[in-house]
Amino acid sequence: MPVQFTLNQKPVALDAPPEKPLLWALREDTPLTGTKFGCGIAACGACTVLVDGQPVRSCVTKVGDVAGKQVTTIEGIGEKGPSAVQRAWIEQQVPQCGYCQSGFIMATTALLEKTPNPTDADIDAAITNLCRCGTYPAMRAAIKRAAELKKAGA
Amino acid sequence: MTSSNTGSTATPVRKTSKARRAFLIGGGLVGGALAVGFTLASKRITNAQGFKPPVQSGEVAFNAWLKLTPENTLLVQVPRQEMGQGIYTTLAMLVAEELDADWSKVRVEQAAINPVYANVTALGDSAPAAMQDAMITTARLIGVQMTGGSTSTRDAWEPMRAAAASARTLLLAAAGVKWNVKPADLRIENGVIRHAVSGQQGTLGEFAQAAAALPLPAVARLKPRSEWRLLGTSPARLDVPEKAMGRAQFGIDVRPDGLLYAAIKHLPVAGGELQELRWKRGTPPKAVLHQVRGPNWLAVIAASYWSAQQALADVELVGGGPGASVMSSEQLAARYRDVLDGKDGGPELGKPIRRTFGEHGNAPKAIAAAPAKQRFDADYSVPFLAHATMEPLNCTARIAGDGKERKVDVWAGNQAPTIVQWLAAGVADAAVDNVTVHTPYLGGGFGRRFDLEVIRQALECAKVTGGKPVQLIWSREDDIRHDAYRPAVAARMTAVLDDAGQVAAWQQQMVGPSVSKSVIGRMNPMFAGDYPPDLTNAEGAMHLPYTFANFRCDHAQVNLPVATGYWRSVGNSYNAFFVESFVDELAVALKKDPYLFRLELLKAQPRFVKVLDAAASAAQWTSALPKGWGRGIALAESFKSIVCQVVDVEVVGKDIKVRRVVSAVDCGTALHPDNVKAQIASAAIFGLTAALKGKITLSEGVVQQSNFNDYPLLKMAECPTFETVIVNSDAPLGGIGEVGTPPVAPALGNAIFAATGKRLRGLPFVLA
Repeated sequence: MPVQFTLNQKPVALDAPPEKPLLWALREDTPLTGTKFGCGIAACGACTVLVDGQPVRSCVTKVGDVAGKQVTTIEGIGEKGPSAVQRAWIEQQVPQCGYCQSGFIMATTALLEKTPNPTDADIDAAITNLCRCGTYPAMRAAIKRAAELKKAGA
Repeated sequence: MTSSNTGSTATPVRKTSKARRAFLIGGGLVGGALAVGFTLASKRITNAQGFKPPVQSGEVAFNAWLKLTPENTLLVQVPRQEMGQGIYTTLAMLVAEELDADWSKVRVEQAAINPVYANVTALGDSAPAAMQDAMITTARLIGVQMTGGSTSTRDAWEPMRAAAASARTLLLAAAGVKWNVKPADLRIENGVIRHAVSGQQGTLGEFAQAAAALPLPAVARLKPRSEWRLLGTSPARLDVPEKAMGRAQFGIDVRPDGLLYAAIKHLPVAGGELQELRWKRGTPPKAVLHQVRGPNWLAVIAASYWSAQQALADVELVGGGPGASVMSSEQLAARYRDVLDGKDGGPELGKPIRRTFGEHGNAPKAIAAAPAKQRFDADYSVPFLAHATMEPLNCTARIAGDGKERKVDVWAGNQAPTIVQWLAAGVADAAVDNVTVHTPYLGGGFGRRFDLEVIRQALECAKVTGGKPVQLIWSREDDIRHDAYRPAVAARMTAVLDDAGQVAAWQQQMVGPSVSKSVIGRMNPMFAGDYPPDLTNAEGAMHLPYTFANFRCDHAQVNLPVATGYWRSVGNSYNAFFVESFVDELAVALKKDPYLFRLELLKAQPRFVKVLDAAASAAQWTSALPKGWGRGIALAESFKSIVCQVVDVEVVGKDIKVRRVVSAVDCGTALHPDNVKAQIASAAIFGLTAALKGKITLSEGVVQQSNFNDYPLLKMAECPTFETVIVNSDAPLGGIGEVGTPPVAPALGNAIFAATGKRLRGLPFVLA
């Protein structure tokens, strides 16, 4: 029986075994490849998506467990043009190789929903993804900038 | 990234190669003109076959390097791979600058494979000074496109600017004909050609067709630096928007029709042979469509990667054999000590090949003659390191048709597409010209994607799928356990400090493998020889900027049970640690300030002095630090650039908290200053991960780490603040992607010493 949930605000029914990780269901059973495989053990966060607004690491989340829920991926937040977080990312020129960035952007999106004015300590606690290119300094600036853009309603 | 001006500098700069000279001055043809910035429209703009990139409707190709559309879009052909270093943007800037193109209409295309795009600088750098000309000539003949050694901008500097400058000449000529005016009276601004007197104007794109039909000019004028509008500024990176939107395509994202997936498992023990498969239920699960067996691996193909991975969880790979290693890291360290003591390396390491890479005076004699109290010795070591690119290794391959008609497609993030093409032709038994290599964005490179094993394996998989494409993905566990590692290396440092407080002798003896031999041997075992000497062993150690009365740099090359590979900054990654830590030890022994001591040693090295001063000044070297903090400094030249870093550290118990990294860099001229700064921080963070956490260890030939839980990377919360000062000079172009890595570990170690009085001589740093 297909697994039904809402993906980027559209209903989907994926013909995938319920124990299949959400990461691989997204990457193989939909055309969306923006969510990345990095480690498979929830250690790097490259696969971060939002499930009902909460950041989850989709490599260890079974697709069966998101049945009936709202799943948002990197493709979903920028459908109507770049989100505040994405605009801040572009403005601060954050990405280098770019592979881990979807996960960071999703984690930041979730952070700013909960904590609109994050302190450095908030950022350190919430953003635990890994970036091998070391874009952290630019990213920290972008997170703060995204908070401003979001407040300005932009 | 930097400037072209030669001129004398304090660094040991290699002489301009013969081939490069011929290119610049055209055998005297434009020798006089060179001084005012003309360049020959050389064979590196085009080649004997007049290769031009394929065009879609309306596009006009001027030469190998650029196309224009009637809508005035400039399509720059970039034959290097974008792995985060910003090369798509920097190389596009070279072309856009000479054309005065509209930057908002500049696009990049990954260039096809053609010898015209050879990276001759990378091969030239790999040869000893006396062999460089020959190597560059050879490089041009072989025509290998590769991205590494921080060579991309240096290599593109002449041909890509010349390609654009010659196109500019043609475009102005075409406009001149149409408007019946002298080209000299025309100017280009933001992609628009204007004739001031008549008020005529038109875009570059409008004249593309007419211009490209004109014969290539013999010479073209390159803009002098005073006329640059784009170079030296920091336009937005071309690859950033799609990476921020999640639309950038990496190798792992390609989805050709009918795609199958493969997962792979390697025999754990290094050097072992796969002898038996033990399936949990006797046979493979139903999801497995095909099995492919290699000398030490098993790949299974399924409709889904996840199913393939699940299937592999059900199988045990059994093997071993005479080549299987029994080495553990402790034994390796002991064998290394033996070799440094002049002994053999034992059964696995073999008889070392001992070479002297640098020497002046007679350091061994000075050391032997020195009284014990003037002699200083210290043993240093670094461990194996994995690259751990965020995008796990993967390759998608399709082999369709038979005989002469056989077509092969390879999609893979890789650092050497030409070699991928050769390899694919060989493995798939197809004509080289029938192999198409698609190189999307690389989710990190750092040298890892020179390794072609995953490509060979994907091609083996594609042989059994009846023409269907197959995407092979390594798990993170296989990536960490079966990398081609930055080698473990040990060094014995010896110095003599004379009565006057001068360094009378400096000697560095090292033991380690030849990375180049390992890399090249895996590409083609035919070339896996012990000659020529591997300069990467001693880079960062064999030519030091410091004045030592007697100097020697020796290396003992041994064999290792595991594959080794180029890892961001390669030999510099450990040699800077050995050298700059030991320089600090000598400063301490002499009771001198480590910054002033280096200044003292830098006689007649104005470039180095400027960089050292810039970093010390930006870091406020003498300013007070809180209790428990320490400050350290280190200086290193690599890839023709000079970087000095000052690290502030806070030590709390055993906890090492890096608080600030101040860098100064002289890469000649910073062509894109923001990217220079981003790369310096990036490379320093890479180096900090190694200095604080990085360690791959062996237990009876088996790598003990497996994923980010036991091979951790620096996180946001651990990341210090960064300040980077750019010191522009008139030196030739230097690299920028790797140069921020070498000095950071010694600067941190020196800071830890300043904070604690403890000298840590091994990486990663651990306070007992």
